[in-house]
Amino acid sequence: MATTAAISISSDIIPGYGSYSKTMTLTEAGTNIDIKETTGYARRKLATASKVDLVTMANLMVGEDTSNLSHKIFIKNIGHNGEIDKTKYVKVFVNSVEIGLLYGGDWLMMPIVASDGEDIEVQAQDDNAVVLEWVMFYKG
Amino acid sequence: MATTTASMALSSDLLTGALSATASTTCMKAGTTADGLDQARMGYNLIPTGTSFDLLDATAAGADKAAKVMISNDSTDETYYVTIVIDAKTIGRLYAGDWMFIPWNQDDATHDLEITATNGTNTITWMCFHEGETLTTQAD
Repeated sequence: MATTAAISISSDIIPGYGSYSKTMTLTEAGTNIDIKETTGYARRKLATASKVDLVTMANLMVGEDTSNLSHKIFIKNIGHNGEIDKTKYVKVFVNSVEIGLLYGGDWLMMPIVASDGEDIEVQAQDDNAVVLEWVMFYKG
Repeated sequence: MATTTASMALSSDLLTGALSATASTTCMKAGTTADGLDQARMGYNLIPTGTSFDLLDATAAGADKAAKVMISNDSTDETYYVTIVIDAKTIGRLYAGDWMFIPWNQDDATHDLEITATNGTNTITWMCFHEGETLTTQAD
């Protein structure tokens, strides 16, 4: 029952840098036990520039167990109707603190606290439609 | 044009049907389609316990830019972790073997990316691909 995520980065900014890659297995905090719960893969269309909850933690059975904080979230900006606009972004927040801008085609994978109130919020740049795909893995 | 590409492959057998996802993005400067990120910083650090360190200092020049940050916890003891904080908000924990990749908007000068090690000296690899940095003029 394993979940793995592999990253690969290549860049020619620094001469001789080349590439970096790493694979992680998602586990429960502080153990080698595979993480067991997921929201499933989801899709959310944004059509206004209002900030909305992408993930409301109170709706998950994560609770307030502060000893199990190895939850992970993946979010990808897939544009709209097959059109990926690298000039348009979606802002990503954790409980109103901005993390960064996901431009068309961009993605993130990050650890999250996931306790009540630490919701993942997103805000499109404007009223043009944009779609996010996301999945969260957690220990309930 | 400098080219930096970040790819990810996710695989999980938690569900009765296998879940897999991939993502790949070429990291562009904010709001552009033809101009890639052209600056980078990276490091390999031993993080002792007990102190919160600024891994990356936010600068006003980075506001609303398209910086990308990768952090990997290369520790091998599964109980070791680093806590990731942005602008005083705890984002989550990276346990030994975990990695993260996020867009980082230096929304204001307090938007530093901070890191604190727990349970022992953690080893991390980090990279920041960005734009817009101007070196500080020598003061003495």
